[in-house]
Amino acid sequence: MEITETKQPTATVLALAGRLDGLASPALEQRIDATLASGAKVLVLDLSALAYVSSAGLRVFLSAAKKFKTAGGRATFVALPASVREVFELSGFLTVLDVRADLASAL
Amino acid sequence: MTTPATPSAHPHSPLSFVEEILLLALDDTTGALRPMPVMGLDYALAGALLADLALANRIDTDPQQLVVLDRAPTGDPLLDRALGQIASAPAPQSVSHWLGVFASERSTLERAALERLVARGILSQQEKKFLWVFGVRRYPTVDNQERVEVRTRLSALILGEDLPDPRDAILISLLTASHLLARIFDDARYHARSERIATLARMDLVGREVAAAIDTLARVLRTATPVMGM
Repeated sequence: MEITETKQPTATVLALAGRLDGLASPALEQRIDATLASGAKVLVLDLSALAYVSSAGLRVFLSAAKKFKTAGGRATFVALPASVREVFELSGFLTVLDVRADLASAL
Repeated sequence: MTTPATPSAHPHSPLSFVEEILLLALDDTTGALRPMPVMGLDYALAGALLADLALANRIDTDPQQLVVLDRAPTGDPLLDRALGQIASAPAPQSVSHWLGVFASERSTLERAALERLVARGILSQQEKKFLWVFGVRRYPTVDNQERVEVRTRLSALILGEDLPDPRDAILISLLTASHLLARIFDDARYHARSERIATLARMDLVGREVAAAIDTLARVLRTATPVMGM
């Protein structure tokens, strides 16, 4: 999986491309922890090029949302492809996480 | 998993899901198992075993299949035997397949978890005679701190609006699937939060599969009962 970071005036955006499975999850978790440690308050995960997410990937998403909320910030998930949206729906993540239609609406 | 269960090599490590589920399945004072649906504990322990392997980064799941990420031993004999079984399968199988396999190992999982909880000083083992003849083994609580801590944490999650961490999401999912959550939190405050509990319980795939297995079995038994009674 490829992770591309962009600094916006109001948020750090991580764009994920490829498959987020149990092998790719630790690298994403480290990247998210590093973003939080840098003092960022708003993390936006752009999922528009994410082809697949497993249970391990979902745990990283949930953990990211929890950590940013606890730190007084937020993690927002944007531009979900249909297959990822289906997994979010099945897991109830559409209800509990901050999910938005596109990047612009999260900044 | 036919080898006798071995207590954990790390008695001071945090409780595993297998230990935590069994601890919460036992009544605090009598040490007897709380009432559960048919095969409820079997599937809950099997799900807990898979959850322990997942959080040890040894397996990963999706709605289609369960895959091995890493065959390296965890150091926990119970997990390593299960990992060996999964890794030796000729092709990846579904979560529900492995739940069925490990649910049939309930006595091994239950015995191992009880031994570990006794070794940790949380439970004690008591032998009693029933009708002066039959031996009954009970596990009364010695140290209730673990139970109190987990209940306090889960209660705050259910009654509040905080996001769960992944571990608590798994635990709530397994407890709800096996109908234990309703036994542990049985008052009006929790009844009023059934929607919140349902949302939290959906968050983990293994928990959802445990719920599906137990519900399917209950439906089959309900259908079969009138025929058996004829």
